[in-house]
Amino acid sequence: MEKELMNLRDEYLQTPIPKELKDVVQAALNEKPKKKPRLGRNILMSAAAALLIMTASVNVSPAAAKAMSEIPYMEKVIKVITFVEWKEEDNNSSAVIRTPAILGLENEQLENSLNDKYLSESKQLYKEFTDSMSKLKEGEKGDLSVESGYSILTDNETILSVQRYTERISASSSTESQFDTVDKKNEVLLTLNSLFKDDRYLQVISNNIKEQMKQQMAANPDTIYWVGNDDVSAFKSIDEKQSFYINKDGKLVIAFDSFEVSPGYMGEVEFIIPTNVISGLLVGDQYIH
Amino acid sequence: MKNLDINQLLAARITERQDNLYRLAFSYVKNQEDALDIVQESIRKALVSSNKIKDVSSIDSWLYKIIVRTALDVLRKKKKLTVADDETIEYLRRGEEDHYPDLDLQKALEGLSLKYRTIVVLRFFEDLKLEEIAEVLEENVSTVKTRLYKALQLLRTKMTEQGETKRWKKN
Repeated sequence: MEKELMNLRDEYLQTPIPKELKDVVQAALNEKPKKKPRLGRNILMSAAAALLIMTASVNVSPAAAKAMSEIPYMEKVIKVITFVEWKEEDNNSSAVIRTPAILGLENEQLENSLNDKYLSESKQLYKEFTDSMSKLKEGEKGDLSVESGYSILTDNETILSVQRYTERISASSSTESQFDTVDKKNEVLLTLNSLFKDDRYLQVISNNIKEQMKQQMAANPDTIYWVGNDDVSAFKSIDEKQSFYINKDGKLVIAFDSFEVSPGYMGEVEFIIPTNVISGLLVGDQYIH
Repeated sequence: MKNLDINQLLAARITERQDNLYRLAFSYVKNQEDALDIVQESIRKALVSSNKIKDVSSIDSWLYKIIVRTALDVLRKKKKLTVADDETIEYLRRGEEDHYPDLDLQKALEGLSLKYRTIVVLRFFEDLKLEEIAEVLEENVSTVKTRLYKALQLLRTKMTEQGETKRWKKN
């Protein structure tokens, strides 16, 4: 009986392992956890969606464009419209790159510098992709996909915040985002340094983020941030180039790419910095309040 | 950072043991699609609750536990008779020609209730110690021991029955 069981064991061990298993396992390991929908985010998303639909109809139909330009205020609103869209699909790989173009700013220089920056970067991204594509064509096998686009985070009287994201999917996926915030009235691009009196803000904001991380981890055991004193890879401090934007409530939001301060499954994470923590350090309350 | 270590360790263990996890899942559902689903779902569950790992040395049996539970969930949801696809039939047919007596045992094993079958699979096919099986099933060791003994007894009985039916058919 035991010997027969051992024979059966050999058969069990010969259970055919499908070649998909490896991919399924890796994909599951890299997956982001399902996020509970948040009301605020939904409103923001639908606002962005509405704007995109508007953009699309402007681009597609000259009649719609004309009709819209006749709506009062419309010409005064800074419009972010899809400027260039590249698309390339080849075998298993695809690239969709949308370059946002910001129109309506009176300060030509800023408008130009913003647009150029977007454009050269998107071109760079596209070049990276075509380079890796040609490598793939040379015989290396793989599935690679780059998707890039943008969403409008805040668009009010003074401020426009745009998030540009790049998602790379090749066996595992990763997303990188870049944020730009411009002052529409004064027509300047905001940097963290330009918002604060001196660099004390770096430490103050970092400490606040660490506090928030610890609170979230205590409240929800599924939440993990790399925060602590003993670990090399733990989050220590932001620097002046840290991604940020200003949300529609006028709060400073610090953003991290996936894997930057937490395991991949946490995805991209953001921290809203309470204004009272930094109010003493701000140059003014025009943007953040 | 403790959590970081655990997650890295967990990912490494999962990657290393993926074949074992798949085989165990397959032994329940007998088809590739469901087995892959179970593995995927189990990894999700494992990552979400990795903070519940108390003892690093028990990661393996903890993973088996998740697979077993997920597989049972899937079976419960399906609540259908095990339907063998062409591949399995082919596989079994091949087995029939090569090792006739083992097929009887295999049939007998399939005939066992999940409670007993799981123990046999974990003990003899996955080489788990009784203590580890106890962890997987969250039972105490003596219960596992009793159940394993009972399972083997049932297998013997079933095989004798099958043998007799066969002899009876021949005559």
